[in-house]
Amino acid sequence: MLVLSLKNIQNKMTKEEIIIKLTTIVKPYIQNEEAFKNLTEATDFMSDLEINSANLVDIVLDVEDEFDIIIDNDSMEKMLTIKSVVEIIQEKQLA
Amino acid sequence: MIGNDIVDLQLAKIESNWQRKGFLEKQFTQKEQKEILNSENPFLKVWLFWSMKEAAYKCYTQKHQKRFFAPQKFECSLVSEDVGTVSFATAKFHTTTFLNTFYNYTIAEENKEGLSVFSSIGSPQTIDKDLKLKLAEKTGVSHQEIEQRKSFVGAPSYYHKEKLLTSSCSISHHGNYGAFAFTLENES
Repeated sequence: MLVLSLKNIQNKMTKEEIIIKLTTIVKPYIQNEEAFKNLTEATDFMSDLEINSANLVDIVLDVEDEFDIIIDNDSMEKMLTIKSVVEIIQEKQLA
Repeated sequence: MIGNDIVDLQLAKIESNWQRKGFLEKQFTQKEQKEILNSENPFLKVWLFWSMKEAAYKCYTQKHQKRFFAPQKFECSLVSEDVGTVSFATAKFHTTTFLNTFYNYTIAEENKEGLSVFSSIGSPQTIDKDLKLKLAEKTGVSHQEIEQRKSFVGAPSYYHKEKLLTSSCSISHHGNYGAFAFTLENES
């Protein structure tokens, strides 16, 4: 039980850490300050943060550098929200 | 279906660095990359292809109501300097681009349906109103009674009371420019 709950905490921490890092990555590209201030997992890069689609590629490249992973085309295709990127990073870090 | 995309070239220069490592590889096919790098002005070619891909994507998502980020899957072929096609899976989009020193503006159509395309470029602040005025002029209703609705993928359509006015519509903003393109419902 104790081990399990500790593991849960650790996972949760990891996810939060990822989101903190992601927030720093996306900041230079956002065009909607209000949506950025209220950023959650559900935040959408284009419809909420109003990030230009051409800058999504920069985010992909920044995420690759920052987390030392390679984002293949299939993963990139899903990169529309904070949540989707967190999932991709977690998946790649496990692999 | 119709899709459009405008790129403010001054802003593109500041916002993106096409020479960044990985930038071309992530978004362009091998064939496109070669064409860009062999071009006299690679910067302009990058944004020409980009606006073609975006305009084609906007056509596709209106029909399929699905969002995704797969620029490399949309492959551009130019027939001339400003006319071309974009292929995505089994779909093919025909594109026309207006090029000048300020912007690239592409309109993509899936089929040559023979419908009249109404399109204009203006400022991003007034583009919604410009579109409504144009629609009012074409349909005979008051522009103040025209209302915009957005689909699940964010594609706009315009209504007068409960009546749909546009059969397809696309709006694009970038930097100093805003642009719309639409076809009329009663014409299809």
